[in-house]
Amino acid sequence: MGFLDALLGRRKVAGPAKSDRLFAISTAYVTLQTSFDIRSRGVAGLVFQPLSTGDFAQIVRDMEEIVRSTGEETGTDLETRDDEFGYRWMVLRDPDVEDLVVGVNAVSEALQSGGYGDRLLAAVFAFEDANGKPLYFIYNYKRGWWYPFVPAPGAQQRSVERELQLKAQIGGELPIEPELERWFPLWGVPI
Amino acid sequence: MMLSIMRRTSFGRDPGLQARMLLTIFLLGAVYVVFVAVLFAATHSAALIILVAGGLFLFQLFASDKIALAAAGAREVSPADAPELHAMIERLCLQADLPKPRVAIAQTPMPNAFAMGRSQKHATVCATTGIMELLSPSELEGVMAHELSHVINRDVMIMTIASFFASVASMILNFGFLFGGGGWGDDDEEGGGFLPVILVSLMVYVISFFLMQALSRYREFAADRGAAILTSRPSALASALLKISGTMERIPSQDLRTAEGLNAFFIIPAKTKQSIAGFFSTHPPVEQRIARLQRLEQQLQGTIGAAA
Repeated sequence: MGFLDALLGRRKVAGPAKSDRLFAISTAYVTLQTSFDIRSRGVAGLVFQPLSTGDFAQIVRDMEEIVRSTGEETGTDLETRDDEFGYRWMVLRDPDVEDLVVGVNAVSEALQSGGYGDRLLAAVFAFEDANGKPLYFIYNYKRGWWYPFVPAPGAQQRSVERELQLKAQIGGELPIEPELERWFPLWGVPI
Repeated sequence: MMLSIMRRTSFGRDPGLQARMLLTIFLLGAVYVVFVAVLFAATHSAALIILVAGGLFLFQLFASDKIALAAAGAREVSPADAPELHAMIERLCLQADLPKPRVAIAQTPMPNAFAMGRSQKHATVCATTGIMELLSPSELEGVMAHELSHVINRDVMIMTIASFFASVASMILNFGFLFGGGGWGDDDEEGGGFLPVILVSLMVYVISFFLMQALSRYREFAADRGAAILTSRPSALASALLKISGTMERIPSQDLRTAEGLNAFFIIPAKTKQSIAGFFSTHPPVEQRIARLQRLEQQLQGTIGAAA
């Protein structure tokens, strides 16, 4: 927000960041796998705010069709879910991380070309460590940065220690959100 | 792989930190030498002043731990009272090759911990009930290792010695006219009058204040580093620091979807860095401590060279 916006109380919803760092995850995954024994769970989610306008519903239908048609070649599976926060999840399943990234990118591109890029919240990729414990890498579209999210046992608990370790492990390859106060959790991720 | 073969020590050294610490100690010593020289040149009662200050110094060294513990409302606990805390500290002492200190607990919700005592054999570490509730076991271990590192580095002793002449200077500022024999330069028989001594004391006090704050910050960094090496879990201590400083304010627990109206959706200009405030504090800003612990974690994970 600029100075004038603050002065006049104007608020614009920020669109996706200009520099797109979504694809960084596919190279980072190679390191995660080989050096740190972290494996993909073969699932990724795109979370966005659904609108009740007619063209938005149409765009979402088109979008699903696009992914389904490309999915027939790559074998990517797609389903849609609504969560208790009123957000919609596009959940993609594919054992190949690269195909997942391509699929997530296709969905977000479709939303953006429809003019709804500002409704995009985040893309989430699910991984697990050698002990089978889940860990997530979240891509914040507004910021264009990644950050780790590791849920811990207990209601709405997260393991900050593990997240900081992950940052140290992969920060050289994955562009990690530098401001820790923006590492927002996604409780009850449906993936 | 090369990585696993080369990892004999997990952490590199930090020559920059050592150099800054040495320079600070040197400057402090230089200021004090000049101060004592001026003191003896200007007044005959210099020996008396230093004698009185020396008495206070010894009292401070021997009684400060008891005073601090009493002020914090802390009470020593036996292994039967707090078995987990004792077991944790025993393990860390084994690891650090350190005699076991006394363990105390303060009943307060404020998350805090501190180490006291003039030597390794007369040390007390204290944790508040607040910090024990707030932190997970691995985070608490990081904090206790930080406090034990203060004991290993003899920080209480070093800071007390470092502050000795600063307290002499402050004594002269407070009671200067008493030592000066009541004269404000009306008779210069004592050699120079007392006004210059007051001025020099003021300068010594101000300069040594800043030097001591810097020294204290460097020793905090050194203790963080010591804790990371003791536990080999730098991120646990970093996580603890984040929790203690404005609990959860930095790494949020609020969901991205509910934070939408706040700031997840809006690009707010980055905060301006604090600059002058850092000069006055005994502890370095948490961001800097986290950044250094992150460097250690990277060295541990082998993602950057240990020599860096």
